[in-house]
Amino acid sequence: MNQTTGITVGGQRADARIALTSPDVDARSLYVHVPFCFHKCHYCDFYSFVDSRDRQAEFVQALEVELKAMSPAAGRLQTIFVGGGTPSLLRPELWRRLLQTLGDRFDLSQLAEFTVECNPETVTRELAEVLREGGVTRASVGAQSFDARHLKTLERWHDPANVERSLEFLRDAGIARRSVDLIFGIPGQTLAEWEADLDTALGLLDGEGIEHVSAYALTYEQGTAMTKKLELGRLDAIDEDTEVGMQLLTWSKLAERGFGRYEVSNFARAGAECLHNLAYWRQEQWLAAGPSASGHARGFRWKNVPRLTDWMESVRTSDGWSSVVDLETPNAPRALAERIMTGLRLREGLDLNALQEQAGTFGAGDPLRREIDRFVQSGDLEIAADARLRLAERGWLFADGIAAALMGSLSPRP
Amino acid sequence: MAEIKPILALDPTLGEEGSCPENPVIRNFSIIAHIDHGKSTLSDRLLQSTNAITEREAREQILDSMDLERERGITIKASAVSVRHVHNGKHYLLNFIDTPGHVDFSYEVSRALTACEGAVLVVDSTQGVEAQTVANTYLAVNNNLEIITVINKIDLPAAEPDERAMEVEQVLGFPAEEAIFVSAKSGQGIPELLERICEVLPSPREQQTKRTRALIFDSHYDDYRGVVVYIRMFDGKLSVGDKVRMMGTGRTYTVTELGKYTPKPQKVTTLGPGETGYLIANIKALADVRVGDTITQELEPAEKALPGYEEPRQMVFCDFYPATTEDGKGQNFEDLREAMEKLALNDASFTYHAVHSEALGFGFRCGFLGLLHMDIIQERLEREGGVEVVQTAPNVTYELLKRDKELVEISNPADLPDPSLWLELREPIVRVELMINTDSVGDIMALCLSRRGEFKSQQAVSEMRQFMTWEMPLAEIIYDFYDKLKSITRGYATMDYEIIGFRKENLSKVDILINGEIVEALSFISHRDTADKRGRALLNKLKKQIDRHQFEIPLQAIIGGKIIARESIKGVRKNVTAKCYGGDVSRKRKLLEKQKKGKKKMKSIGSVNIPQEAFMAVLDTSE
Ligand SMILES: Nc1nc2c(ncn2[C@@H]2O[C@H](COP(=O)(O)OP(=O)(O)O)[C@@H](O)[C@H]2O)c(=O)[nH]1
Ligand code: SF4
Ligand SMILES: [Mg+2]
Repeated sequence: MNQTTGITVGGQRADARIALTSPDVDARSLYVHVPFCFHKCHYCDFYSFVDSRDRQAEFVQALEVELKAMSPAAGRLQTIFVGGGTPSLLRPELWRRLLQTLGDRFDLSQLAEFTVECNPETVTRELAEVLREGGVTRASVGAQSFDARHLKTLERWHDPANVERSLEFLRDAGIARRSVDLIFGIPGQTLAEWEADLDTALGLLDGEGIEHVSAYALTYEQGTAMTKKLELGRLDAIDEDTEVGMQLLTWSKLAERGFGRYEVSNFARAGAECLHNLAYWRQEQWLAAGPSASGHARGFRWKNVPRLTDWMESVRTSDGWSSVVDLETPNAPRALAERIMTGLRLREGLDLNALQEQAGTFGAGDPLRREIDRFVQSGDLEIAADARLRLAERGWLFADGIAAALMGSLSPRP
Repeated sequence: MAEIKPILALDPTLGEEGSCPENPVIRNFSIIAHIDHGKSTLSDRLLQSTNAITEREAREQILDSMDLERERGITIKASAVSVRHVHNGKHYLLNFIDTPGHVDFSYEVSRALTACEGAVLVVDSTQGVEAQTVANTYLAVNNNLEIITVINKIDLPAAEPDERAMEVEQVLGFPAEEAIFVSAKSGQGIPELLERICEVLPSPREQQTKRTRALIFDSHYDDYRGVVVYIRMFDGKLSVGDKVRMMGTGRTYTVTELGKYTPKPQKVTTLGPGETGYLIANIKALADVRVGDTITQELEPAEKALPGYEEPRQMVFCDFYPATTEDGKGQNFEDLREAMEKLALNDASFTYHAVHSEALGFGFRCGFLGLLHMDIIQERLEREGGVEVVQTAPNVTYELLKRDKELVEISNPADLPDPSLWLELREPIVRVELMINTDSVGDIMALCLSRRGEFKSQQAVSEMRQFMTWEMPLAEIIYDFYDKLKSITRGYATMDYEIIGFRKENLSKVDILINGEIVEALSFISHRDTADKRGRALLNKLKKQIDRHQFEIPLQAIIGGKIIARESIKGVRKNVTAKCYGGDVSRKRKLLEKQKKGKKKMKSIGSVNIPQEAFMAVLDTSE
């Protein structure tokens, strides 16, 4: 695999055409990645960078070419998600162009959800207007913490007060559905401080009418500044007991306030679940545009080249198709493993009948069946009356271990 | 170069001894040395100087025949080579015997030495007298051998031949001025050594009986010809076609071939007194032949066997189990059995029998002469047998005198009966000889004392070096003593040991409970005084090796129901990543797969998964 210029298959540079030029593609979701940020947060391992040369216009131009190329593969889109990076950093006039292109190229007659990720610092009234006019229905604001000290530890540059302001702008513009992202388990953070963050977020409920919260545990990803500092001993990760306490508090507190845990880290009022993310977790098909964006269709998975320059170059020179760095071809056991992995994290769990169909043999002696039984017996999994397999309350804390065990019981991939 | 003449049957009736090639003067000798001091190189040089091999052949070490030996630089199997030499107009037949260089094979070494009248003691002039130099010299002296000292490697810039000769005099008592300075590499000093061998070493001793007595001093297995037995004739004769009897085992055979290695095999029809050679007699397995046994004629047997025969005694035991690979497949027990059987054909001194362990499944409990022997067998199993094995920590053989006065050998702690049936539990004691640098004396003292060592003697070899002897329980040195010794002395120390007997000690059996269940494979025998400490250390190790589970796992060490140490492995509180993975499902999947793959091969005991490595922790006493 070549991380900068993409992989080749049979001597040919590979791109998403291998998955998308077929009549049976049925992608109803689209992800668009905007790689710019105004500062790089120290925990972040998304592909994003601080753009000092102002390449926004070039980027949007290339994006238009890419979207045009892949649009025939799309059905009537149901969800669009623009993430990053910091999509709200794109200048309003560029947003106008992008939104125009989306409307021109895709059938949005059945669009049910159009989300844009926003940084509290960069949302303006003007931007909010532009977004709403262009069809955006949902905004996800990265608050992370309301405590300036902890934002500092994360090297996340925004003023906590601006979270509320940005939510107001979005509301006033008419973007009805709004979500807040939070992070817990920040070095130095106490259980009480995390509870205060949760309270602040919930306090915004009344005024700002948010309907969705994502609460992530700080994860030390390889290659990030946070991880380096941890290794150098300049940071102390919080202890396991505190982290578990925070996780449990998150679940109980949000449930109390009517935010259902529909995924390990995602909470919503009834009917306010993020449809786009659910499409990922339900193994549906989606298109991907922009550097480092990942797509899934017809059993193929791919990821566009991450570097902006490489991505733009490949889009320009290959009829609008980005080179890819990861490409997985259809593989039944792998698809099964992925269904288990993402499905288990959902409150709705997995449909045992569908699972059985996908797994083929599923008798009492089947290793997957045995693992499932083992976890049902230990009280980590439960099988509901509607034949759905899902995490039991005590299993939520061990979702990864359980998924790994179930996946490990599948026969090895060829 | 002189013509290489084959050696045909000797004929002592032909005139005065040494007057013609058919009636030569015989010299039987061994070369003894600490490992790497140049024994094999010197052997080759001697063969080359006597024209037995060409220069090209000499480049390869002829006497070490097994790959493994050459790689480890250890001669495992002795072999005997006969060469001709003319000195001062007299014809000589030099038989020299390459002995195994390691104490694990000290019985074999001593049998090989019994076949000789002399020994060439090789000391590396850059290293000096080492522990095995001393041990091997003692063996030679005990066998009444005449000894010639060779100070080798004098071509090296770091050589200090005079100082090393003085060491030999001080430690071993052989006059420094009699040492011969040699370079086995360049050949310098070799003519002088040959001269000395001819002049100083004694002739074979007089016959004591007319009846045939030949000593078996080694044997090897040849894929084409079966077992080849190395013999030294002491009394009488052996001829092809003779019906012979092994006096120790009682087995009888008909001799089909006799010969000598020159070093290529040369058949002869008869071997007479004083000679060495090989014998082939349709012997199927090495286990049918015992080194040290005496061969006599079936029809007119000797009355008494030659002295010194002993059954090989395994002192170190461990289990081998088929290793299972990540996908759970791996080799099975039958493959391992086949490999064991094949190996046993080639090595009669290790024992094996099938065992079953609750933790590791079916495998074999094997006995070895010593630690090196154990390593060699494991390597050969894997290399020659093509099987991968999991090896448990080694333990020693104990002697249990029961209340009913029955004496039993215990080679597995799990076999110990209830303590109420014990009268005495005895453990093997070794004399340990150490050559160390003077500045580590204090640390070595502390190490040996901590291993229940009893100080015996200390002697300055030079200003820099000390020779020490200790008596210690074998159990205290079989696991990591040597590593500790090496690290304290920065690789300098050398060690040798010899079993001197069994001694009654205050020993107890320590059992380990994991989550309330006794895990037999982890039981060990320990001196009562150190049992608590060892129990604690073992629990700490287990704590590190056993992954946390979703529940707390208590660990206990007990002696007869009494808890002597306890620990616990805290339950995992969580295993879930609360993170946004977005659409990059491949990446998340790979992370989870890694989590599963990272798991070592586990054995479940109750609901606890224990990695196989944990079973090796038993005898590792390091903290
Ligand atoms: N320079 C030099 N090296 C030697 C001499 N004799 C042996 N060696 C080397 O020392 C190492 C050990 O020799 P070897 O004969 O295998 O020792 P053994 O273990 O006693 O059989 C080998 O690398 C030899 O080449 C010598 O006289 N001079
Ligand atoms: S704003 Fe988001 S994408 Fe940008 S650096 Fe911070 S965490 Fe990463
Ligand atoms: Mg050698």
